[in-house]
Amino acid sequence: MKIFVSANGSTTEASVGQRFGLSPYFIIVNPQTMDFEAVPNSGADGKRAAGMQAVVLAISKEVDLVLTGYCSPTAMKYLTDNGIEVITGVKGTVSAAVAQYRNQIHPATIHSMVKPEGTGAVLIHAFKSTGKQFANLLPVFVGVILLMGLFNSFISKELLSSIFSGSTLLDTLWGAGFGSIFAGNPINSYVIGGELLVYGVSLFAVTAFIISWVTVGLVQLPAEIAALGKNFALVRNALSFITSIAIAILTVGTYNLIMGCGQ
Amino acid sequence: MRKDGYGHANKIIPLLKKLIFPVCVLVIYAVLFIFSPARASVAFRSSMGILLNIVVPLSLVFTLMIFMNLFLTPAHIVKFLGKGSGARGIVLSAAAGIISMGPIYAWYPLIKELRGKGATNSFIAVFLGNRAVKPFLLPIMISYFGGMYVVLLTLFTIAGSLAVGYLVNILVKD
Repeated sequence: MKIFVSANGSTTEASVGQRFGLSPYFIIVNPQTMDFEAVPNSGADGKRAAGMQAVVLAISKEVDLVLTGYCSPTAMKYLTDNGIEVITGVKGTVSAAVAQYRNQIHPATIHSMVKPEGTGAVLIHAFKSTGKQFANLLPVFVGVILLMGLFNSFISKELLSSIFSGSTLLDTLWGAGFGSIFAGNPINSYVIGGELLVYGVSLFAVTAFIISWVTVGLVQLPAEIAALGKNFALVRNALSFITSIAIAILTVGTYNLIMGCGQ
Repeated sequence: MRKDGYGHANKIIPLLKKLIFPVCVLVIYAVLFIFSPARASVAFRSSMGILLNIVVPLSLVFTLMIFMNLFLTPAHIVKFLGKGSGARGIVLSAAAGIISMGPIYAWYPLIKELRGKGATNSFIAVFLGNRAVKPFLLPIMISYFGGMYVVLLTLFTIAGSLAVGYLVNILVKD
């Protein structure tokens, strides 16, 4: 068994950290032998998703129990969904907290697998989560649809054909370029792509646009560099840009072959 | 349960950011209705046409999302991405990318954490590439582009992500 304790120091004599995601250390203890491993918390500065980083660490260390002062409902949900029991309201030193647990004294609150009971409750829970996710994407989606209406009434086919000349390679390059600039839910790229097709823009360009919309992110590049390193982010985005063109040519080429319409 | 005074600000700021774009479009409409009402109503009717075409596939999307929420949690994705090596790791990373939802920036802290715990650069690149495959958005895609096209695009997207993963592994040192 492994117990994951949020702590204010790197030994079992340190006090239990009162904020799960923001504690400077996590002590992973074997309660039988009291052997422990201290892991510094890289999210302790609280800059980004500190709670989630702690959750990921607990899951990847395959712990069975979390002891902490306070844990956010979201972090709690991910931990318990993953079969990890959580005890909050724990005070004192790490070793005392583990000893209390070992002796089956629980002065604090225990949270275990809080799954909604019954099929109806589970469905309502999933329905609510989906509603929230949907509501999240709705403002931008409605904006895109309204914008496409403006686009349809103001942008002429002539204007578009001055950019998309009909050359497969050049059009695909333009498509990939536009897709790389924009970002967001891919549903928006399908609506824009679909409308562009009506305007006679080639399927090659639209396909490259849809793929690069997700895989290449110029807007998010600074965030990707910060999280994953400059080399990785630049190489990955450059390769993804080239690949979006290749995917477009292969997909539409094969599609045309199968549908027998040629190019 | 503890409440810190930042709760409201934390919710309102992202909501405002999300509303900037649709509100800007609505302002354009408002200005247009004043100066060129005929054109504005053509644009609005065109938007309603797009919405009408998309209502049925959109309700299918909603149903599929309920199913994804019933059976998958972010914890599943974390498990997929962090584990396995070789071919198994690549298949798991691709699967994690396909089933992942939500904006990419929400994933960066997680990916960063998973690095060095078995998630190599090529796995991360495969994961990010496969985010272009969205099973729950298939009804919308099929309604616009047709089934055969969507099947081909999905296959080539997965193949493309594997190629990017392979090349990232060569070009970027772990």
